[in-house]
Amino acid sequence: MSAVAIPAVRRESLWSKAAWKLARDRTGMIALAFVLLYMLVAVGVTAGWWAADWSEVRGGKWEAMSAAHWFGTNLIGQDIFARAVYSTKTAFEVGLVVAVLATVIGAALGAVAGFFNGSWIDEVLLWLMGVLDSIPFYLFVAAIVFAMQDNPYAMHIAMISTFWTSVGRLIRGEVIKLRGLEYVEAAHAISVPEFVIIIRHILPNTTHILLVQATIMFVSAIKSEVILSFLGLGVKDGMSWGLMIAESSQEVMAGFFNNFLAASVLMFGLVMAFNMFSDALQDALDPRKVG
Amino acid sequence: MQADTQPLLSVRDLVIEFTTENGVVRAADGISFDVHENETLGIVGESGCGKTVTGLSILGLIPSPPGRVAGGSIRFMGRELVGLPDSEMRNIRGRDISMIFQEPMTALNPVFTVGNQMTDVLRRHRGLTRRQARDAAIEMLAKVGIPVPAKRIDEYPHQLSGGMRQRVMIAMALSCDPKLLIADEPTTALDVTTQAQVLEQIAGLQSEFKMAVVLITHDLGIVAETCRRAIVMYCGRIVENAAIERLFEAPRHPYAKGLLESIPRLRRERLDELPIIPGRVPNLLHLPPGCRFAARCPRADALCREQSPALVPAGPHGDFIACHHPHPGQQAEPAA
Amino acid sequence: MSGRDQIPLLDVRNLTKYFAVRGGLLRRVVAQVRAVDGVSLSIGKGRTYGLVGESGCGKSTLGRAILRLHEPTSGEVLLDGHDILKLRRSELIDRRRRMQVIFQDPFASLSPRRTVAQIIREPLDVHRIGTAAEREERVIALLDDVGMGAEIRDRYPHEFSGGQRQRIGIARALALEPDFIVADEPVSALDVSVQSQVLNLIAGLKKTRGIAFLFISHDLAVIQHVSDEIGVMYLGRLVEHALVDDLYAAPKHPYTKALMSAIPIPDPKTKRSRIILKGDVPSPMNPPSGCPFHTRCPDVMEICRSVVPATINVGRKDLPHHVSCHLYS
Repeated sequence: MSAVAIPAVRRESLWSKAAWKLARDRTGMIALAFVLLYMLVAVGVTAGWWAADWSEVRGGKWEAMSAAHWFGTNLIGQDIFARAVYSTKTAFEVGLVVAVLATVIGAALGAVAGFFNGSWIDEVLLWLMGVLDSIPFYLFVAAIVFAMQDNPYAMHIAMISTFWTSVGRLIRGEVIKLRGLEYVEAAHAISVPEFVIIIRHILPNTTHILLVQATIMFVSAIKSEVILSFLGLGVKDGMSWGLMIAESSQEVMAGFFNNFLAASVLMFGLVMAFNMFSDALQDALDPRKVG
Repeated sequence: MQADTQPLLSVRDLVIEFTTENGVVRAADGISFDVHENETLGIVGESGCGKTVTGLSILGLIPSPPGRVAGGSIRFMGRELVGLPDSEMRNIRGRDISMIFQEPMTALNPVFTVGNQMTDVLRRHRGLTRRQARDAAIEMLAKVGIPVPAKRIDEYPHQLSGGMRQRVMIAMALSCDPKLLIADEPTTALDVTTQAQVLEQIAGLQSEFKMAVVLITHDLGIVAETCRRAIVMYCGRIVENAAIERLFEAPRHPYAKGLLESIPRLRRERLDELPIIPGRVPNLLHLPPGCRFAARCPRADALCREQSPALVPAGPHGDFIACHHPHPGQQAEPAA
Repeated sequence: MSGRDQIPLLDVRNLTKYFAVRGGLLRRVVAQVRAVDGVSLSIGKGRTYGLVGESGCGKSTLGRAILRLHEPTSGEVLLDGHDILKLRRSELIDRRRRMQVIFQDPFASLSPRRTVAQIIREPLDVHRIGTAAEREERVIALLDDVGMGAEIRDRYPHEFSGGQRQRIGIARALALEPDFIVADEPVSALDVSVQSQVLNLIAGLKKTRGIAFLFISHDLAVIQHVSDEIGVMYLGRLVEHALVDDLYAAPKHPYTKALMSAIPIPDPKTKRSRIILKGDVPSPMNPPSGCPFHTRCPDVMEICRSVVPATINVGRKDLPHHVSCHLYS
């Protein structure tokens, strides 16, 4: 027997229960506010509301912080604040594209592998995941970047093709577990077609994993983008925190820290906020704690 | 519950609370009972009635947080256990009071051998050497009916069957010769034929070791066959405490009566319909003001819905009941 | 068994289900678990066949194999004389309407993200029964049949207690108006006072709708209460079968006797001589030779160790009592 009685009955779905729990998590909500603020910044850049002049030369070399240039200027006189703000858009775009596509691919292939567990389809998919996982990430990206001849999406493709495997494995395991549950057997017993069983009874019960995985991959993608850009393998014709940090490597020697600080503080803030939000989401969606 | 002998264990007005997301629940509310030496006391009730937390509280094992003992006293051999520091509680646990649990697989550590886990306890509480402890452990395993104990002692829990694991748990619990054994659903996870083996083992060991047993179970059949006295719990409270013969012959509380009637049992003639207790157990977060069983009780009236009945003595034999309108009970009181 | 001359509703003949145990690098089959090993039984219209046995004896696998939730290894399952094991998957869909299942765990058997109405309506949707409005009405009627109100239709399973969930599961099984239901330990996860409510509900359905049940349980008292006839399983085989009163009055197989004597009786005045079996159930991966029960049997003879006992009728011709034991051959 359980030590504690069943809690009060409320007329709610598991989703609204989770949302209610998330809303009561103060750290999670503060983190979410920060994430939304960053998102607003990114949207503004895309819409051209601000930082459109990030590439223009508007001052002298290494100007200090001032009302005109909040974070000063860089070596050739570009506004560091505008560049840092513009980089937010780059980070968000990479994060979003990679998180969404890797999650979708991982969910689809993982579900297929799990549902056909034991058959050759499962074996092939497991083999594919194993191969992709065993290639060192940065070598793989470098290879793709060189192979695709400076295609601006080489970085995205490299990340998606390696990131989906972790989602795929998780979903595969979950599907194998769910497939053995009695409500899936009950669906078989009333002759619900296999495809409908996956869509209606199995995948909806993995969405909590997908959501949490998507937020985790979002953060990883942003971090990887910064590192790749720093290495010269990432963003080519835009601006990125990684490029700013690369630029600052000579400046720091000369005692000018603005570029370095602006890029790293903004990136740190976003990664931190997103990680904390991701933790809160995980707590709220954990089926062992809900219901 | 003879008044002239000092009880081994005496629980008074015990209150156990758990903090949940939706508020504080009282998992046990005003529990009072005595256990005498060599006695087997049954605690019966349905899931959520508070029988397990009552057992855990005696050993100071209420998970805290979220739970805590919010009031009352637990006296063991004259010593107050509520509020005892954990270091002292640890000396009592396993030596004077032992516990066995429902699921022996989770109660045994899978990465250590049976012998490892058993000698640990023996060396800590009885100060034996490694060699002595191993011999004592083998002897204990033999006592609980494990064949070839010298071989089994070096096996891991997963190599044993469910019944065998529960016996190992019993051997561990008894290895320090405790005065009180708390058995929480010890056979619920086992098959009937294995259950019969284990129950017989416990009964045999009890007379050999001269210990008292508190047997927590939902199975009235087990209570009838192994206990001398039983407590029936409902929704965190004791509703009836009576000697086995009186409880089964003529239960006085309507819940106890309903429960006894509703269980399917092997009978000569079959009933068309089982008698039932209508409705269901109320939520501990939203308890009714009066008697907690009132909404399901055929005898309930306005008084029951307003005022909660206290647990009061009933009859000359140390029985207790908490009911405004109890059934008359046994007509001819033996030796009254 | 019940049918005097007509064919029974369900006739299971020599059904086996082996599970392959794979091991090693190449995932070769290293062993076979004989979960169900040549079981034959038949159930008449509106009758309840109680299947009793301890955990791991194969009783749940047998129930699922009959419904083809687990594909049987060999044997026949005749529904009204037609072998459903010969049907292709697409043909099976239609037969499934007549055979349903109630599961043990009321917490695992309902999809957590679907409402009560969606759960109960799903079988009607899949089989395209009635219009949308008719299906809605049907859901309400089904809820009423299992003693629940229409107001719960938009709520989610986690809001209910075990007994209520089990009622919802029963309503889903009834939606297609089956002739036959496999009830796999439907009350063993429930509390005592709720158990009797659900047992009465099932007994009522049997009476009012004439549904036949294969009622699987480890609890002989529950089985006795609901069944017309009883089969006792041990290690994948049926060791005894008789009408319920015959079996309880005069159990023949030593295992049945031990099982019956092992049940604790809630009456302190009854003191019985209990048959305590030695040891544990052997692994079905490596079953003993001869009679599967010989390792624990109190009446074991030399022949039991080597020869599998045949099933014989020790009852009357019209009231058969089958037993597989050398004591009676």
